[in-house]
Amino acid sequence: MAYLSEHLPALSAEKAAHLLRRVTCGPTKSEILQFTNLTASQAYQTLLNNIVLNPSEPIILDEGSAYYKQTFVTGPFRGEDNFVWSSYIKYWWEAQIVQQDTPPSLLEKLAIFWQNHFVTTREIVSDYRFIWRYLNTIRTNSLGNFKVFVKEITKDPAMLLYLNGNENVKGSPNENYARELQELFTVGEKDFNGNLNYTEDDVKAAARVLTGWQFTNYWYEGSTSFGSEFVLNNHDITDKLFSENYNNTLINGENTANGGDLELNMLVDMLMDHPEAAKFICRKLYKWYINPAVSQDIETNVIIPLADFFKSPANNFAIEPVLKKLLISDVFYDENNIGAIIKSPVELAAGSLRHFGMQVPDMQNDSISFRKYFEYLDWQLYSMQMSLLDQPSVFGWEPYYQSALSRAWIASSTIALRYNYTDQYIWGWYDISPTYDLGINLVEWAISLQPNFLIVTNTSTDNITVLDVLESFTHKLFVSPLFQAQKDFLVDTIMMQGLPRNSWLFEWRAFRIASKNIADGIDDATYTDKFNGIRWRLQMLMRYLLRMAEYQVY
Amino acid sequence: MKRRDFLAASSSFLLPLTVNGLSIKAFNENSTLVKSLKNTAALNSDRILVMINMIGGNDGLNTVIPLDQYSAYQSLRSNIAIPESSVLPLSGNLGTGLHPAMTGLRNMYDEGKLSIIHSVGYPNPNQSHFRSAEIWMSGVDYNQYDSSGWMGRYLGNRYEDYPNGYPNQTMEDPIALQIGYIATPTLQGNSQSMAVTIDSPDNFYQLIGGAEASPPSNIPPLQTGEQIAFIRQQQALAVGYASEIKAAADAGQNLATYPSVFENNDLANQLKIVARLIHGGLKTKIFFVTQYGYDTHSTQVDSSDNREGQHAYLLSKLSVAISTFQLDLQLQGNADKVVGMTFSEFGRRATSNSSKGTDHGVAAPMFVFGNGVKKQTIGNNPNLTTGLLPENPPPWETGRDIKMQVDFRRVYNDILADWFGTAQLTTNNLLFRNFDTITLFTDTVDSLSNGNWEDSNIWTVARKPMAHEVVKIKAGHSVSLNENSTVKDLILEGSLTFEGNSNLNFGE
Repeated sequence: MAYLSEHLPALSAEKAAHLLRRVTCGPTKSEILQFTNLTASQAYQTLLNNIVLNPSEPIILDEGSAYYKQTFVTGPFRGEDNFVWSSYIKYWWEAQIVQQDTPPSLLEKLAIFWQNHFVTTREIVSDYRFIWRYLNTIRTNSLGNFKVFVKEITKDPAMLLYLNGNENVKGSPNENYARELQELFTVGEKDFNGNLNYTEDDVKAAARVLTGWQFTNYWYEGSTSFGSEFVLNNHDITDKLFSENYNNTLINGENTANGGDLELNMLVDMLMDHPEAAKFICRKLYKWYINPAVSQDIETNVIIPLADFFKSPANNFAIEPVLKKLLISDVFYDENNIGAIIKSPVELAAGSLRHFGMQVPDMQNDSISFRKYFEYLDWQLYSMQMSLLDQPSVFGWEPYYQSALSRAWIASSTIALRYNYTDQYIWGWYDISPTYDLGINLVEWAISLQPNFLIVTNTSTDNITVLDVLESFTHKLFVSPLFQAQKDFLVDTIMMQGLPRNSWLFEWRAFRIASKNIADGIDDATYTDKFNGIRWRLQMLMRYLLRMAEYQVY
Repeated sequence: MKRRDFLAASSSFLLPLTVNGLSIKAFNENSTLVKSLKNTAALNSDRILVMINMIGGNDGLNTVIPLDQYSAYQSLRSNIAIPESSVLPLSGNLGTGLHPAMTGLRNMYDEGKLSIIHSVGYPNPNQSHFRSAEIWMSGVDYNQYDSSGWMGRYLGNRYEDYPNGYPNQTMEDPIALQIGYIATPTLQGNSQSMAVTIDSPDNFYQLIGGAEASPPSNIPPLQTGEQIAFIRQQQALAVGYASEIKAAADAGQNLATYPSVFENNDLANQLKIVARLIHGGLKTKIFFVTQYGYDTHSTQVDSSDNREGQHAYLLSKLSVAISTFQLDLQLQGNADKVVGMTFSEFGRRATSNSSKGTDHGVAAPMFVFGNGVKKQTIGNNPNLTTGLLPENPPPWETGRDIKMQVDFRRVYNDILADWFGTAQLTTNNLLFRNFDTITLFTDTVDSLSNGNWEDSNIWTVARKPMAHEVVKIKAGHSVSLNENSTVKDLILEGSLTFEGNSNLNFGE
């Protein structure tokens, strides 16, 4: 069986595509080519080296604003612009995910993972500066040290707001954060066998450890700084005793100005010493990147050894080495894991934009087009139930924790919305700018397949066939090859609607002749009909391909 | 009525239950004949259940307010307590009131169309949103795991082959329909969801379209093939049902006036669709709708007025949505075949926190509504002195929780066995064991065991019988009466002994 041993063979095109589909939000065809024949280790290193941690900041994208094209995330807070400006932060992040003009990196897919792990939402947090800082906390710690990450996120102003840490004061603690810190962020609710990992009293004790933290200048008009602070007066300075799940750890109450940090350090040490904590994090990474279903065999041979490495003194909870082990492993490339996950809306939407080369307009120079591009993507993600930075609850998106796993993305209503999304590529009705719509120019695509398009000869073998078209349209589109019966169906029933395949050759040749006439300045009244006829067949084919179940897995 | 009169009268109540002239008592409960008779006679094939999931954990103590213990209530949560004079009183039930935002539900209660089931929960409560919701949805014990939902198992049992061969002539409509996007675990069957989910009927049909030519069924190997097969099946079901749902939506009408779209009452919008589909003749048995927002850790009330704020806003929407839906069903003439139930993953802490909110708690009331409910209350108000958890709090513990009175699976039992007419043995299998009925849909209050009349635990309704109720002391049970009580009537199969000078009076 394939486990954590390093995957040594050079990557085939299929394996390179698999890597890029899982580690980015979907590759372009040329990226797949670039990664083919690298080793797993080289490919990983490239995806790591390509990270751009600090791309230029978001700017105001509203041409009617007095601040148009200016940066805003570090300026004085403006309440009346809050909602729109926080959208620009979302668009900025979506742009990092979708953009194709820098080489592919593994950062954003990993950042989505951590944002879905340490959830706060734009809707609840509201203040755009808090959201920006939170997103940066996520992105900059994604490959760092997990313990540091937990401490940073615990004190993060957005998190203090989202899980009411701000209101957790001595005397009547607010337990919201203390519970989710254990259940969702570190040790997990139960172990692989279903035993509970901590008690209700542990929730209460952790809440008391965390009393006294609060954020500053939330929604404070005109304020130029904000952050989080520890208020000793609100801190419970009595000792906190934990259950045997935590070896009866006693965290001494601290009565000093740095008491909040001292107790938080002890708390995080205690949490990560829990025998389940490292496994919980490693299992979640495995489910994200490799397969949402974890068997006993995988638990024993992948999760436990990986967790042992994660928490070993030499590694001391560094994330990057763990990620590397996982992403260059034999189990990552195991045939049974390829195509085993149903695409999330982000993978479907961003993946389609990248596969079909829908370039992101330049944020600074073409701000309005940039905004329109991401207004559209953001709306589509929202309707397909995966709004970025806006999960329905602290648990994150349902398919990452419900028992149906990635199948939970597929229900009748979401099938309809996915159809709606991909159909849009066919009709191209959404205009980014007068010269750019979000649609695939299918006729141009077919013409590009035809050598000497405008030089029409009398030999029918000179024309591209329905199979040439199908071959090109499905190139790198699916995880697994189509069966012959499927190809026949796609060509005969969907594209040709029951007509013989030869009819295509006549139609295509006639279209070439009409095109040649137009190119030569001859007024050919039949051109439009011929163009529309060709386009209709190509549209029917591509629309069907993108609705296929095969397109929904990766 | 005096003891003597009543003893004479009681024998006449011992009528055997007969079906098609055959006495059921003549057969063993487990005989095939009895089971088949019960199935065919009792399976209520046109009955519908609407489930309303209140996500986040509803604060039960500010929903149904124990007026009989107002000062204890007030001292547990002075910063969020509803002023006594604002609590909506319930007709004939002076000790209990509803949140002032729930006039619609109060009226339904007064009309006998709303049942309040007090302090519903399960032993060894879990306060994780996810796990507790999972326990409620799958219908399991705190330490038991099952990937199917309780209603999914019921539907899987009733429509054995689903989804193979569906839709078909005997069931052309979805067997369950959820308004939403991500299928609820409640309707998860043994291998997949039993529900079709839609956002709106028109939109759904428009996006899905009609049937197209059937493609080849080749499936690639390994797990990718399993996923592809699953997606294709869902696609086929969506296409298969889209036109039926559209047809029902076109044929159906709403006869009541729902809140306007500008009021953002999502729940009302969802129930409006459900009512329209029911009116349009959709034969779907289970509808599932959702209301978000109950995780009120902070500022659940306004800073200046405890009657207003986030929780009031939610309860107001809930009350308006349910009462409008009920009115709609009545105007359509469909009210007798529909009941609804609300559920939330847990209640909230009896004690409030300093941020004018409440942390995760334990038991909370459930509502079941419709013409079919036969009891206005099940259980008593939570006892805010002796009915709190932990029973022996450590010195630093300031929080208090509400102890459970009624296991949620007892409610499920009555829905499955009495509302849908599922055989009791099957019901037990679906819920993994037998749960006592709460006689929610039956006319009598029954004894569950020997004991004192005053002991709530010996009655199906988890409280003493009320004066307007018919009481049945079941065969083998002996109940002793220690103080005077009044009931409407008594069916005595077991025995009743009178201690001291106690009398049982027959009123109303």
